Amino acid sequence: MQAALQALVEKARAELAALRARPEFEAAKARYVGPNGELTALMKQLGAAPKEQKPILGKLINQAKGELQPLIDAALVRIEQTEIAAQLGPAIDPTLPSPDSGPGTTHPLTLVREELCRIFRKAGFAVVEGPEVETEWFCFDALNTPPDHPARDLQDTFYLPENVLVANVSQRTKERYLLRTHTSSVQIRTMLKQKPPVRIISPGRVFRRDTIDATHSANFHQLEGLYVDRHVTVKDLKAMLDYLFQSLLGKDVKTRFRPHYFGYTEPSFEVDLSAKHLGKVGKEWIEIMGCGMVDPAVFETVGYDSTEWTGYAFGLGIERIAMMLYGVDDIRYFYQNDARFLRQFA
Amino acid sequence: MKLSLNWLRRYVALDRPVEEIAHALTMIGFEVEGIVRTGLAPMANVVVGEIVTRDKHPGADKLSVCTVRLAPDAAPVQIVCGAPNCDAGHRVPVALPGAVMPGDFKIKVSKIRGVESNGMMCSARELGLGEDHGGLLVLASTLALGTPIHEALGAGDVVFDLEITPNRPDCLSHLGLGRELAAWFRLPLQYPEIRAKSPALHAPAVLQLLESVAVTAEEDCPHYTAHVIAGVTIGPSPAWLQEALQAVGLRPINNVVDVTNFVLLETGQPLHAFDARKIAGHRLVIRRAGDGEKLVTLDNKERILSGRMLVIADAEKPLVVAGIMGGASAEVDPTTTDLVLESAYFKPTGIRWTSKKLGLSSDSAYRFERGIDPCGVLDAARRAVDLILETAGGQVVGPLFKVGGEPATETAIEVTPDFIRRRAGYDIPDTAMRAILESLELDIEQRLASEAPGFVWTVKIPSWRGDLDRPVDLVEEVVRLHGCDKIPPTPVVAVALPEADDPISEFNRAATAYLVGQHFHECINYSQRSGPETAAWISEAAAQTLALANPFTDEYSHLRASLINGLLDNLRLNQDRRTGATKFFECGRTFREQDGKIYECLSVGFVISTTSDETQWLPRAAADFYTAKRHLAVAAANAGVALENLRVEPVAAANAGWQTGHSATFGRLTEGFEARCGLLNLEMLRKLGLTGGVVAGILHLLPERLATARPRAKFKAVSLFPSALRDLALVVDEAAAAETVRRDVAKAARAAVAGKFVLENVRVFDVYRGTGLPEGKKSFAFSLVYRAEDRTLTDDEVNVSFLKAQEELAKNAAYAIRK
Repeated sequence: MQAALQALVEKARAELAALRARPEFEAAKARYVGPNGELTALMKQLGAAPKEQKPILGKLINQAKGELQPLIDAALVRIEQTEIAAQLGPAIDPTLPSPDSGPGTTHPLTLVREELCRIFRKAGFAVVEGPEVETEWFCFDALNTPPDHPARDLQDTFYLPENVLVANVSQRTKERYLLRTHTSSVQIRTMLKQKPPVRIISPGRVFRRDTIDATHSANFHQLEGLYVDRHVTVKDLKAMLDYLFQSLLGKDVKTRFRPHYFGYTEPSFEVDLSAKHLGKVGKEWIEIMGCGMVDPAVFETVGYDSTEWTGYAFGLGIERIAMMLYGVDDIRYFYQNDARFLRQFA
Repeated sequence: MKLSLNWLRRYVALDRPVEEIAHALTMIGFEVEGIVRTGLAPMANVVVGEIVTRDKHPGADKLSVCTVRLAPDAAPVQIVCGAPNCDAGHRVPVALPGAVMPGDFKIKVSKIRGVESNGMMCSARELGLGEDHGGLLVLASTLALGTPIHEALGAGDVVFDLEITPNRPDCLSHLGLGRELAAWFRLPLQYPEIRAKSPALHAPAVLQLLESVAVTAEEDCPHYTAHVIAGVTIGPSPAWLQEALQAVGLRPINNVVDVTNFVLLETGQPLHAFDARKIAGHRLVIRRAGDGEKLVTLDNKERILSGRMLVIADAEKPLVVAGIMGGASAEVDPTTTDLVLESAYFKPTGIRWTSKKLGLSSDSAYRFERGIDPCGVLDAARRAVDLILETAGGQVVGPLFKVGGEPATETAIEVTPDFIRRRAGYDIPDTAMRAILESLELDIEQRLASEAPGFVWTVKIPSWRGDLDRPVDLVEEVVRLHGCDKIPPTPVVAVALPEADDPISEFNRAATAYLVGQHFHECINYSQRSGPETAAWISEAAAQTLALANPFTDEYSHLRASLINGLLDNLRLNQDRRTGATKFFECGRTFREQDGKIYECLSVGFVISTTSDETQWLPRAAADFYTAKRHLAVAAANAGVALENLRVEPVAAANAGWQTGHSATFGRLTEGFEARCGLLNLEMLRKLGLTGGVVAGILHLLPERLATARPRAKFKAVSLFPSALRDLALVVDEAAAAETVRRDVAKAARAAVAGKFVLENVRVFDVYRGTGLPEGKKSFAFSLVYRAEDRTLTDDEVNVSFLKAQEELAKNAAYAIRK
C-alpha cells in the first residue's frame, strides 16, 4: 500500500505539472481525488485492512493526501493564471490613440451665449425664449417703431407672405409675420404676460436682409436684457454693463456711454469698450452694444404704468462678443462649422 | 453729414484742437465716421513748378527726366520723376533741396540711376494730403510759378463725416451742429444776419413772371412760399461759396444753385430755384401727380409718377418731384434772368414714400423725410434771397406767395429738476441742468412746486426739436450735455427674482450637453434653405408654405423644415477638407407645414457618417439605425417624452431624404412631438457629393408643449430577493414588429403571474432568421425576469406561471413557440 501510495503521488506530481487547461485538470483531479478516484479507491481498501494496520495505513493515506492536495492546488493556480493571461491578450501600447471618435465640441457661439447667461444669472436675470418668426406688431409697433421706419422695409427685413399663418405664434391683430430683427420682441411678449418687476435676458437668433461678408451675416444672434422696477436709473444701467464687461474681460476694462437713438429707449446709448488686452483692434474704443432706459411709450403699450415703473434695456450681438473674445476676424467662420475651427474653443 | 470746420466757424468761434472737437461730437451723440483734412501747414521749399520737357530716363524704363520751371524767367531745373503723369505743361508741387516732407523725409540734390535730380515732384500723399499716390498732384494752370505750395492750395479745412441719428434732423446742417457744439463748449452761437424782408402778401404780382401759387394737397404740404427775384445774372459763385461747397463734397454749379445748396447745408431747409420764365401759365400748383404722368428729373432720367406723389407743376406739366428733385424743364441755366425761389415744408411720410417708390434720394429728400424745422421756412428763404442778391444781383419783385403756414402750437414740457435727477440716478445741480437746457435754446420758466419742495420748470421747446415732447426726453438732454462720462461708477445692485430659466433653454442645454458628450460637433446653420431642396425634402406644396415673401437670394429663400440639410452641408465641407470629423448636430428652430399652416418647432438634429476617412488601427462598429434611435430617445426624454411610447411608422414616401426600410418616424407633430431617424437616402447622399452612408436623427417639438415641471419621482423599495429567468422564443411572420410581440408576451406573462409575484421585465435578446425556420418567418427570443418582493421564488411556481403564459401565447395563430 505504501508503495502504491508513493507511486500515486509521483504519478500525480508528473501529470498535474504537465496540465495546461481546465478540462484536463478537472478530469485529472477526479481521477485522483474524485469519488471514483485512485486515492479514493485506496482509502476504500482501508476498511478491509486488518485492524492493527489501520492506524498506520490511515496515517500513510493522510500523508499521501497531504502531498497530493498542494499539487492539485498548484496546478489550479497555474491554470487560472494561464486562463487570465489568455483573457487579457497581449499587453496594451499606451501610446496608441483611441480609435473612438474624438471629443465633441460645443459651438463657440453657444459657449459665449452660456457664459453671458451665467453672468446675468448671477445678477438675477432669468432666460426667456420667444419665436424666431414674429409679427410686425411685436417686432416693431410695440417697440415704438414708427409705421414708416426704414427698419420695416422689405429691403431690410424678411417677411412671410401676407396670407400665411404661423399656428403657434400669436398675432396682435392680423398683422404680418416676419423674421425677427431683434429679440426685443421677446421682452414685449414677456411684459404682456407678467407684471413688473421684470429681470430677463433673451438670447436668440435674429435676421437682417443683408449682404453676407466678413462682418455681416443674414442670421446672427443677440442677447437682450430687460430690467423693470421702481426707481431704476441711468446709473444702474451703467453699473450693470460695467459688471458685464468686467466679468467677461477683467477688472481693467473700461466702458463708455455715448448718446444714441433707439425708438424703444429714452435716453439711449451706445456702449464703447476699451481694454488693453484687446490690442489688435487698433482703436482706443470699440463699439460693442446698445442700451437705454425703456421708453414710456413701450410701457404704455404693454399696460405698465410708466409713472410707477422704470427700467432699462440692452442688447448685444453674440457673434460680435465672440469675435472680440476669441479674435475671430470673419463672422462667416461661425456658420461653416469646419471641425478645425470648432475644436479651437471646446 | 459732412461738417466743415471752416464753415462751422462762421457761427461758433471754435478754436479747439480737431481731436477735441471730434471727441465732443462723439460724446454729444454724433458718431465721427471720418475726418478729412484739406490744405497744408506752411512748408518751406515746396513751390508750384511747371514741367517744360519730359524725356525717358536712359537707364530706367519707368523713370522720366524732366525739366521744370520754377519762376517765369528762370532756367528750368532737371528733376527725375517716376510718376506716370509728369507730362510737359502740368503745374505740379515741387519740393526743392532743403525741403522736409511729412515723415521727416529731407529733399537733397541726388543722382538717380546716374542722372542728377534737383528735387522731387509730389503726389498728394507725398504732401500729406490724403492717400492719393496714383500720380503727381496736378495743380490749376492759373497758379503763379514759385508760389509756396501751402499758399497755392489755400488754407486748410477739416471735414468731419458724421452719423446723424434719425431723431435729430435739426443736426443735418452746420447751424444745427454749431448749436450743439456751442452748447457743449459753452460758446455763443452767432446766427447769420438776415437783411432781406419778404414783400407783402398782397403786393401786385409781376405779369409774365409768377402770378399765382396754389396748393391742392395741403395734407402733404402744409406750408409753401415763393419769392420772385428779377434781373439776376447767372455766373460762377464767389470763391468763398465754391470753397464751402467743395469742402463738403458738392460741385459748384452757378451762383443761384450754389446759394440754395449753401442755405440747405447751413440751415437744413431745402430750397428750390425755378427759372421764372420757364413756368408755363405763370402759375405754380402743388398737386398730386396724375397716374402715369412723366417727368425728366435733373439726373436725366424719366420718372413715371403716380397719384400718391406730390409735384410742383405749372399750368401744363410737373416741374419738380416735390421736395425730392427738380426737372430739367424749369432749371436755372446761364441765360436765366428771373427766379422763383421755393421754400416749403413737405410732410415726411409722403416724401419718404415717393423717394422709396422712385428709388430717388437727394440731400433735400433726406431732410424732408426726417422732418425739417416747420418754422424755419421763411427765414431760410430770406437768407437765400440775401445771398442771391449778393452773388447774382437782381431784386425781389411782386408779392410773397405763401400758402398755409407754420404750426400754431408750441411744445412745452413740465418737469422738475428732481425728476431728472431721479431718472439719472446721480446728482446734477439745478443750475447745471438749467445751463444745459438753456444752452440748447430751451427756455425755462420756473415756479415753486405746490406739493414738494423745489421747483417746477416749464421748458419751451424750439420748433426744430421735434424729438422733445416728454420729461424723459429732457433727461436725455441733460445726461448728454452734462457728459455721459460723468455717470458715476457703482457696484451692481442685483436683486434677483426667483425665476427659472425658460424650459426651452434648459432643453437645448441638456441636448447639447448630451450630444457633445457623445462626441458630436455642435453646428450652427442658417434658418433658411433653398426652394428646390425644401421641396425635395418635404413636398412641393409644403415648401410653398415655407417660402419667404422677399428672400435675398435663392439659396436662402425658404424657412428650414429640417436641420439635416444644413448638417449635410457641414459634413460635406468636413469630408472635403479632410478634418476627420464624422458626427455633427444642431439645436435650433425648424418650421413645419401642417394643413397649410406653419408651426415653429424646437429641433435637435444630428448626422453620423458611417464611413470615416481615417482608417483606424482598431476598427469599431459603424453607427446604424439603432445608434440614432438611442440618441433620439435621450433627447426626447429631456423633453419629457418617452420615445418607446410613441406610435412608430415607416418614414412617409414624401420624405424622400430618408432611406425606405431603414428609417422610421416616432409620434406626430399634431400631438406635439415627432422624431425621425435612420439611414439617409443613399442616392441623395451621392448626388450631394457625400462619401459613404449617413445615419441621422431629428426631433421636432412644439415649444408650447415642453413640460415646464416634471412630477417629482417617488421612491419604491427594491426587492432584495433573487430573480428567476426564463427564455422564450417565438416564431413570427417576417413583418411582425418586435415591440408588438414583446407586448403580447409581457401581457400573457403578467396575466399568468396573476399578481402572486412580479414580472419585472421582458426583453428581446435575439432575432433569428434562417436554418430551421420556414420561409418568411423569423424568431424573436425574449428573456423574462420574475421576482417576488418578499421571498425567493421556487422553480415550481415560476414554471407553472411560465407554462401558463406559453399556453396563452400558443392560442395566438401568429405565434409558434420555438422549442
